[in-house]
Amino acid sequence: MEEDGSNSNRRMSSRTRKVASKMVAALASSDNRTQAALARLDALENDNAGFEVPDPNIDDDDASLDDDDQGFMQRKQSKGTKRKTRQAKALEARKAPRTFLELLHDANLESLPPHVPSYWKAAVGPPSSTARRHFCTVCGFSANYTCVRCGMRFCSNRCQNVHNDTRCLKFVA
Amino acid sequence: MSTTTQVVVLDNGGGLIKAGFGGERDPSAILPNCLHKPLASKKWLHPNPLNTPASAEQDLTSASVRRPMDRGYLINPDLQREIWSHLFTSILRINPSQSSLLLTEPLFSLPSIQHSLDELVFEDFNFTSLYVADSPSLVHLYETSRSPNGLLSKAQCSLVVDCGFSFTHASPVFQNFTLNYAVKRIDLGGKALTNYLKELISFRSVNVMDETFIIDDVKENLCFVSVDVPRHLNIARKSGKENLLRCTYVLPDGVSHTKGFVKYPEQANRYLSDGKEMKEDVDDHEEILQQQHENNRQKVDLTKNEFDLTNERFLVPEMIFRPADLGMNQAGLPDCIVRAVNACHPHLHPVLYESIILTGGSTLFPHFAERLEKELRPLVPDDYDVKITTQEDPLLGVWRGGSLLASSPDFDSMCVTKAEYEELGSARCRKRFFH
Ligand SMILES: [Zn+2]
Ligand SMILES: [Zn+2]
Repeated sequence: MEEDGSNSNRRMSSRTRKVASKMVAALASSDNRTQAALARLDALENDNAGFEVPDPNIDDDDASLDDDDQGFMQRKQSKGTKRKTRQAKALEARKAPRTFLELLHDANLESLPPHVPSYWKAAVGPPSSTARRHFCTVCGFSANYTCVRCGMRFCSNRCQNVHNDTRCLKFVA
Repeated sequence: MSTTTQVVVLDNGGGLIKAGFGGERDPSAILPNCLHKPLASKKWLHPNPLNTPASAEQDLTSASVRRPMDRGYLINPDLQREIWSHLFTSILRINPSQSSLLLTEPLFSLPSIQHSLDELVFEDFNFTSLYVADSPSLVHLYETSRSPNGLLSKAQCSLVVDCGFSFTHASPVFQNFTLNYAVKRIDLGGKALTNYLKELISFRSVNVMDETFIIDDVKENLCFVSVDVPRHLNIARKSGKENLLRCTYVLPDGVSHTKGFVKYPEQANRYLSDGKEMKEDVDDHEEILQQQHENNRQKVDLTKNEFDLTNERFLVPEMIFRPADLGMNQAGLPDCIVRAVNACHPHLHPVLYESIILTGGSTLFPHFAERLEKELRPLVPDDYDVKITTQEDPLLGVWRGGSLLASSPDFDSMCVTKAEYEELGSARCRKRFFH
């Protein structure tokens, strides 16, 4: 996903802060497989906050919409409601709390002296053995094949077809 | 300070709030820390406390969720204020300005988050005083009080493994203090497990991506930790009655039942029938069950109001042990424990391995401790014992420790008062809690 940045400058400034640092890395890379893997992990922390079109009169939360959906709705909304009231704007500001990863970024923990325990230092770190077991993402059994486009695993022709039809690159959008 | 001031004990989890009064054995309220909006509702509603009958009546099919916490930390103080306000006024019925508060906070919280919490406590709710505690030290305190002559109490240390909603921590505790510098965290907890299960079911049978509450129930009732993954994978592959792992979950239909349920609970528990060795022979009763089951399976495709689970039942909790399988660049729980222990003074190593305490909702999966021991043992030097205990109630252990601390004679002197907060500000008051 290449960001050309010209048509969505206004959105970008707030969105880039919103996404996880690993997501930033993923977006910067053009590697679909990395992107797919990271987006999938990020989705594991999502809430189903409701996917209906935001109505400024209802105190709604769109925090878990993915980038494209949100960008889309934002544009659609601003087209339709040119004369957005101050109240609606205030509501909108209130309903978009900053994510933990944003707060973490602002806390600038990297500047702490090395002996001070911190969120980053408490992370368990990479696995000691690099042996990764592979389970078919379609049926769950041991999988020997990797999708060349997205890197997900499948075990058989049958599962490959299901994968291609329903889930390949789903998290990349 | 007056001794008549009551202490409110609030274990403010990312998934569940446990709240009640210092000195009591159990919290008065266990409440999802969220607002939800059922399909039929235009407004965001407060969930009913789980320990009340009203909770069972709420129809949460396809309900949207808003949580004040993200990855275990408070990000939305406005929403938390709303939830606490409801909790204090309508559920606990307390007056904060006449109460003291013992509040749990996740390890490594950020100064900006601590600041918002202090504001909530003192400026929005006017509590008279506050004590902030971390979960591992409360768990340790509770467990030592339960067996004053046990190893834990003698050695004054333990390794608390808290596998909760947002993340998993292995935390060494020494003389009632959590050794922050040695704590290790895996970024996986019950929330990610539920989302992973949603994903698997949605791709394989029915779209349940919007069914957080239902899939939580599926996870809690049907998932287990495998002590032998290859063997269970083989069994899950078998067809018909030989597949001792297959079970069926019925989704709510919104008419006759608003909650989902396990279709044949006996069938679902076959794998547990005698621990590791599953019953491979199937008796008549089972056969009938199976037949009913096969008949019902034909309905499945027409109505899609139920789905089968096989290997999902153990592949989901498997993530805690091998996050790398999912593509996460993080070590699993056994390594996490070893790394936490190794970050402590070598004198502590043998006692820590002998005093591992499991707590948090995600340790409730059957066979969790057994599997952990099986994988941990080979990583620990031979001359050290490995002893793992699961808390009697892994959901309430932290709260109970808090209740104990709140009723101790020293409690008042440990708190920061509202006056001190007003004089010193958030940052300086905070220093008191962890030194
Ligand atoms: Zn497959
Ligand atoms: Zn693919």
